[in-house]
Amino acid sequence: MVHALRRAGQRLRSGGSLISIRPHETQLPLVSIITPSRRIPVTRLPTPGFDDRQSAADAALERVVAEGRFAITGIGNHRYRSVLDNPAQLRTYLELINPPRPRFPPSRRARLLELWRSRHPASKIEIAEWIVMTALRRL
Amino acid sequence: MSIRLFAGTSYASIRSMTTPVEISAYPPDGMEVRLIERFTTLKGRRILEIGCGDGRLTFQYAPTAREILAIDPDRLSIEDALDEQAALSVRNVTFRVGSIEHLSTRGAPFDVAIFSWSL
Repeated sequence: MVHALRRAGQRLRSGGSLISIRPHETQLPLVSIITPSRRIPVTRLPTPGFDDRQSAADAALERVVAEGRFAITGIGNHRYRSVLDNPAQLRTYLELINPPRPRFPPSRRARLLELWRSRHPASKIEIAEWIVMTALRRL
Repeated sequence: MSIRLFAGTSYASIRSMTTPVEISAYPPDGMEVRLIERFTTLKGRRILEIGCGDGRLTFQYAPTAREILAIDPDRLSIEDALDEQAALSVRNVTFRVGSIEHLSTRGAPFDVAIFSWSL
């Protein structure tokens, strides 16, 4: 990863911007059931192997800054939500993500389905995700 | 391969076979561009996008950029991007199969480099 950042830096003009968009390291995707009156959080979805990749990405960004190639100009965290009609659409949503995919912790998928079976008629499934955007300036 | 959660952006969204709802596992269109533009402008800029996948993000900012080189190691994703490019008649984007590590160090410098879910 650090090599990729260095190579990108070689192709940027001085003062140019490097933007990294990636999933948030600690804010894992959150699955909830939403009704007209309330939101019922069900589970967060960890991604196997995700921590190592995130740590490597963070280390690479820190490395190129420490090397004096870039300066940090900003970091931002942002959330977005998708609202799905049913558990089948949630399955589709997760399948749209190439591996490694977020996964349900043990028993949490069953919990979701249990709650879904006893849902309010106007219920939906919400998945909230967080991204982190890091901006660097080439020195 | 470009990745969402470090995986490719191919097939980032599909239309459900059972309902008319489009399902996407990515932020809504325009969100990432708005966030990027908090840090730098893309208008009139020469941009290198690394991990472009099928061009999901590329096509969102292409109308304002001057020129874009968008790369991804996944050939099928780039083929999808090229199909979409032809359908949209987008002329200022060059999609290329490849990785940043193998991109030539020569050539005109870029104003902005975007690692799109690929770092």
